[in-house]
Amino acid sequence: MVDRRTFLKGVSALGALGVSPAWAASAAAEAAEAPAADKLPELSGDLTVYLGRGEGGLYGQVVEAIRDRNPALSLEIRRGSSSGLANTLVAESEHGGARADLFWSIDASSLGHVVNEGLARPVPAVLHEPLPEAFRFEAFAPVSGRVRSIAYNPERVRAGDLPERIMDLPDTGLTVGWAPSYGAFQSFLTAMRLLEGDAATRAWLQGIQGRARSYAGELGAVMAAAQGEVDVALANHYYTLRLKEGQPDTSLELAFTRGDAGSLINTSGVTLLSQGSTPVDLVRYLQSREVQSFLAEEAYEIPLAGGVETPAGVPALERLEPPELDLTRLGDVQPTLALMREAGVL
Amino acid sequence: MSYRLVLLYGLSALIAAAVLLPVGVLLALGLGSEVALGAQALEIALNTLLLTVLTTTAATLIGAPLALLTTYTDLPRRPLWTGLLAAPLAVPSYLGAFAYFAATGPGGEIQGLTGLPVPSVDGLAGATLVLTLYTYPFVLLSTRAGLRNLDASTLDAARTLGMPLGTALLRVVLPRVKNSLAAGALLVALYTLSDFGTPAIMRLDTFTRAIFVEYNAFGLDRAALLSVGLLGLVAVVLLLEWVVGSTRERPGRTPRLHLGRGGAAAALLAVGLLLLASLGMPLGVFTLGVLREGTGGFDPAMLLRSASVSGLAAAAAVLLALPVAYTATRGRLGRLLERGTYVGFGVPGIVLGTALVLVGLRLDFLYQSIALLAFGYVVRFLPLAVGNIRAPLERTEQGLVSAARSLGASPGEAFRRVTLPLILPGLLAAGALVFLEVMRELPATLLLRPSGFETLATHLWAVYEAGYFGRAAVPALLLVGVSGVAVALMLRRERSHDDALI
Repeated sequence: MVDRRTFLKGVSALGALGVSPAWAASAAAEAAEAPAADKLPELSGDLTVYLGRGEGGLYGQVVEAIRDRNPALSLEIRRGSSSGLANTLVAESEHGGARADLFWSIDASSLGHVVNEGLARPVPAVLHEPLPEAFRFEAFAPVSGRVRSIAYNPERVRAGDLPERIMDLPDTGLTVGWAPSYGAFQSFLTAMRLLEGDAATRAWLQGIQGRARSYAGELGAVMAAAQGEVDVALANHYYTLRLKEGQPDTSLELAFTRGDAGSLINTSGVTLLSQGSTPVDLVRYLQSREVQSFLAEEAYEIPLAGGVETPAGVPALERLEPPELDLTRLGDVQPTLALMREAGVL
Repeated sequence: MSYRLVLLYGLSALIAAAVLLPVGVLLALGLGSEVALGAQALEIALNTLLLTVLTTTAATLIGAPLALLTTYTDLPRRPLWTGLLAAPLAVPSYLGAFAYFAATGPGGEIQGLTGLPVPSVDGLAGATLVLTLYTYPFVLLSTRAGLRNLDASTLDAARTLGMPLGTALLRVVLPRVKNSLAAGALLVALYTLSDFGTPAIMRLDTFTRAIFVEYNAFGLDRAALLSVGLLGLVAVVLLLEWVVGSTRERPGRTPRLHLGRGGAAAALLAVGLLLLASLGMPLGVFTLGVLREGTGGFDPAMLLRSASVSGLAAAAAVLLALPVAYTATRGRLGRLLERGTYVGFGVPGIVLGTALVLVGLRLDFLYQSIALLAFGYVVRFLPLAVGNIRAPLERTEQGLVSAARSLGASPGEAFRRVTLPLILPGLLAAGALVFLEVMRELPATLLLRPSGFETLATHLWAVYEAGYFGRAAVPALLLVGVSGVAVALMLRRERSHDDALI
């Protein structure tokens, strides 16, 4: 639920950015209840799943649990980096067709790449129903969400000094930890490019670059913010939560911008690569109450299916104000890299 | 040329061609694209070059004395220390780099535990430190193989004539193992050129980082073209090592140096500190993770898979390296073929893996099979075997073989009874190196393995990527433990070889 004040504040911040003010209100309202796993049809036959990045084996555990529950299903799982599997699928399609029935990827850009290459089958309505309107894409079905965030150490930076809009970050004078070579960061920049245009994105990069430290991954950037190497870190929300799980005394908080790329909700998701009802039914398991809760509790991911409670600590969907964007478009990374190179960030 | 030699040349050419095949695919992929390297290209090339030179120098300065210590001296429990000193080769360098990243600097683990401020380990210095810690065993193992083949009499003569030990080692022993030393240094240089994880975590801009970024952004052709640029540097390194000549001599009794109590204590202290830095640091950081997060699930079958596929690849690499190494000692053409097999080690694993995926897709029966995976390992790690076998072969006196032949031994018997015992230490070192490298190899494994084939390295990667260090501790410990034991077992065979010679 969104209280009226937050909602209005959101509306005023959205301006003319192509963000639907109805987003926040519609987020939870239109999604159908997530199905319970034991109400779903039993799966059978052969199925190959390409599983992009493992979240510490948690996605693997989900698939294993589905395998255990469906003894008639012969399930083969191939794990790899999301982009590596996307590259592999495209190569396979050029040599006789993709060898997988499903591609479950940690990030939308890899899904977008596979979609752009024409490999994806349309998502049927049954997979749209449990999702909020904003996540009903034609070519892939989101499973769980992760939101871009500003991680900061409250002992060093006051919450009031953080920008409400990501485009204002260069003007704050804060030092920034980021991971330019990391996929999640590039997706965020791609979103900025699509929402604000190339010139504004380039200016934003140049505005921050002098006060930025680069890290290999976003966990590194978040650790740097906790240790005081930088004032803030730009990262997916769960890195902060996982760091604090291991080190509860760490002084680190999350802040979210409003209605822009800074609060983009990216998702893990599935593209269907072959025909038939079994792949679709397997995705329904991923949308089930049980799987959604498991991913939220164990990996701090944001549950997307309707009626699933968000655990304490994980930012709830209805409290966020993400921009409206078809995540499939995040597969177009090359122009983003070109921009980053121009700005001297890569 | 004898019929046999022609056959050997043909075989070597075939092996070299097979190993170069994926590089050819890579060239075809890369040259079809247009990449404008930005203004940073020069900086990237300079960083890559500096890192390579510094790491190679440091690894040689650490590896060579350790080889001496573990080959000639009466260090207590020598085989154990040798195994442990080689074990860092099984630690994926990205894990080592991450451990240093997490442990040092303001607010790092060390400061958290002790309260002592520790400077951050990063940049060029940090990357050099970490890569040195995880590559010096290349020099250690190949130099050991060379040292074991030397006869003690020259060293004894020099000492008898009054030359101090240090000078004698430098002027009498060193020149005779310089090709073994160079072979190890070459591997360090190529590993450094192709490693991605360490420069990335240490925030140093190198060729591999640029390649990785392109690969992840679905710019396969650009990644390939950048790799072709990297191959230029690889060629330079290969040329440099070519220049190092070799000497031939009759092998004999291994020299024995007595350390004495003080010497042994000092040596053990140095070895202990090195092991603390290379093995203790990552294991310590991950153990802290266990204490905080618990160990999580772990499937012991992964260990078996890792060890068996590593063993398979090591055996295949040693077998294929034999003809290549042999022809390399017989002339320029052979030497050229041998150089060809080194190229795969200088190409980053993801790029090579991608090229092999394309090869596999054309030969459908190979795609995502253990055979293709093992072939990938051979392509990448054949030089580890070739270098360690060529060096002792070069020193093997042809006169011994001729004598055996004139006494009526068939070529096969001469090889089995004369050459093989002489090069056995080299073969064992070769097998050990390939085994260790395959244990920790990740990027090509992810791309080439059969679906569902989880190994220790792929599991480590999955939990590390997700930020669960606790869950990385057990597999990391197993990786190091199994590798250390495997190397100790392989090197134990050296002793029987000793006895046979004396």
